[in-house]
Amino acid sequence: MTTLQARPTHTGLGNALTDHLTMIGRCVRLTRRNTETLIMSIALPLLMMLLFVYVFGGAINTGTQYVNYVVPGIVLLCTGYGAAATAMAVANDMTTGVIDRLRTLPIRGSAVLTGHVVASVARNALSTTIVVTAAVVMGFRPRAAFAEWLLAAGLLLLYVLALSWFAAGLGVIAKSVESASALSFVMLFLPYLSSAFVPPHTMPRFLRGISEHQPITPVIETVRGLLTGTPIGANGWIALLWCTGLLAAASTFAAWLFRRRNAV
Amino acid sequence: MTTHALADSATMLRRQLRHMKRYPSLTFMLAGMPVVFLLLFAYVFGGALGAGIGGPTGGRADYIDYLVPGVILMTVAAAAQGTAISVAMDMTEGIVNRFRTMAISRASVLTGHVLGSLVQTMISMVIVLGVALLIGFRPTATPVEWLAVIGVLVLLTFALIWLSVALGMVSESVETASNLPMPLILLPFLGSGFVPTDSMPTALRWFAEYQPFTPVIETLRGLLLGTPIGGSAYLALGWCVVIALGGYLWAKKLYNRTR
Repeated sequence: MTTLQARPTHTGLGNALTDHLTMIGRCVRLTRRNTETLIMSIALPLLMMLLFVYVFGGAINTGTQYVNYVVPGIVLLCTGYGAAATAMAVANDMTTGVIDRLRTLPIRGSAVLTGHVVASVARNALSTTIVVTAAVVMGFRPRAAFAEWLLAAGLLLLYVLALSWFAAGLGVIAKSVESASALSFVMLFLPYLSSAFVPPHTMPRFLRGISEHQPITPVIETVRGLLTGTPIGANGWIALLWCTGLLAAASTFAAWLFRRRNAV
Repeated sequence: MTTHALADSATMLRRQLRHMKRYPSLTFMLAGMPVVFLLLFAYVFGGALGAGIGGPTGGRADYIDYLVPGVILMTVAAAAQGTAISVAMDMTEGIVNRFRTMAISRASVLTGHVLGSLVQTMISMVIVLGVALLIGFRPTATPVEWLAVIGVLVLLTFALIWLSVALGMVSESVETASNLPMPLILLPFLGSGFVPTDSMPTALRWFAEYQPFTPVIETLRGLLLGTPIGGSAYLALGWCVVIALGGYLWAKKLYNRTR
């Protein structure tokens, strides 16, 4: 008679770190191999920026150069596309049996999601750099000091982390890669209903309410304020609260879902 | 012989209409994208763009009137994408080879696609126009002008469908067929569909003023809202004829060459 033995797990901080680094390496390699998704997640926001700056920008009055107004929104749109790619990558792992194979190895389950999230952050760092560089070529002129650049980068990092964990959770829930893509739609659509492209006061009352009280608007307003010197007001603290709250909730929820779906 | 060709084309049209009836979601999907853009531009960007483009009151209401002709053209372009996909499916899944073994007019397969897509596009346009009227589009056209609008739209749809039939046939796969007509969906943006061309940078303005969709949009806008049309009507008709003829000849050549 054979007895089922619990799979061995790595214990200790060193082993945990090794597991996480291995999974991060795996996800970064997956990103490098899946160049089409990477290119699309950068090309689409770039296309939107070109369209809004050159086609619509001349007809939109924001009280400043339109390119300076729109860049923070495009950066956040970019993170949405990156997060959608994360949701699909996690769903792919969940549905193609990769997780079952990983469970037979002595690695921590949490490392799988962490790998996807860190790879997502790396992807977003690359896409943000490309978008900002393209914006500078198009006439974006930030007035930020070094400290303000650091604050903007820190807030964006926090936002990307929160969104990536949220996307990872969606990927765990999804029954297929297609449904993960459909579930991600909200992340791609929210920037349009924010202050990303036009000031909220130009929207009808019911939309203005959504725009002013959703998480993306304070993040955009804070980044815009830090980079171009527009007034931030209370947006900085609201953005920080939204990001930390979403990060705490999403990471806890994603980890719990992952454990639940992979319970023996 | 002509009678046979007509009967065969009618049979192929019936096949397309049956597809449409079995998959109504496809028609709604074709109308869905333009409706989303209509709502997005009317409600989210409409206030800012309405103030920017001027007009009698320079607000959202004016902008909705300005916007609708461009969105209608986007509906035609989206339908063209659907046509390219369905032609590519027929070409790659072997059904055309089966039709070739039958005693039917060769041209009827393509004619069926074109006429079926024409019907589907008209339904999509009615849906888009219905939504536009619900959100405040107020055309001032007379019955004669409405007839002219329908004529221009049928002609443009006919032209773009023939072009997309050719694009569907030249595609190696369904994925390629869905990507090739993408520029057609972009053209209303790079014309006078959403903002006046004089608010664009010089190079872009030049492109916007001389591309095929701008005269069509200006003609529709003139007929529906009474804005000056000028020479746009003749340019629009000219472009439609050229695209239709080019698309038809290209599609025919590809179809006859495919063995």
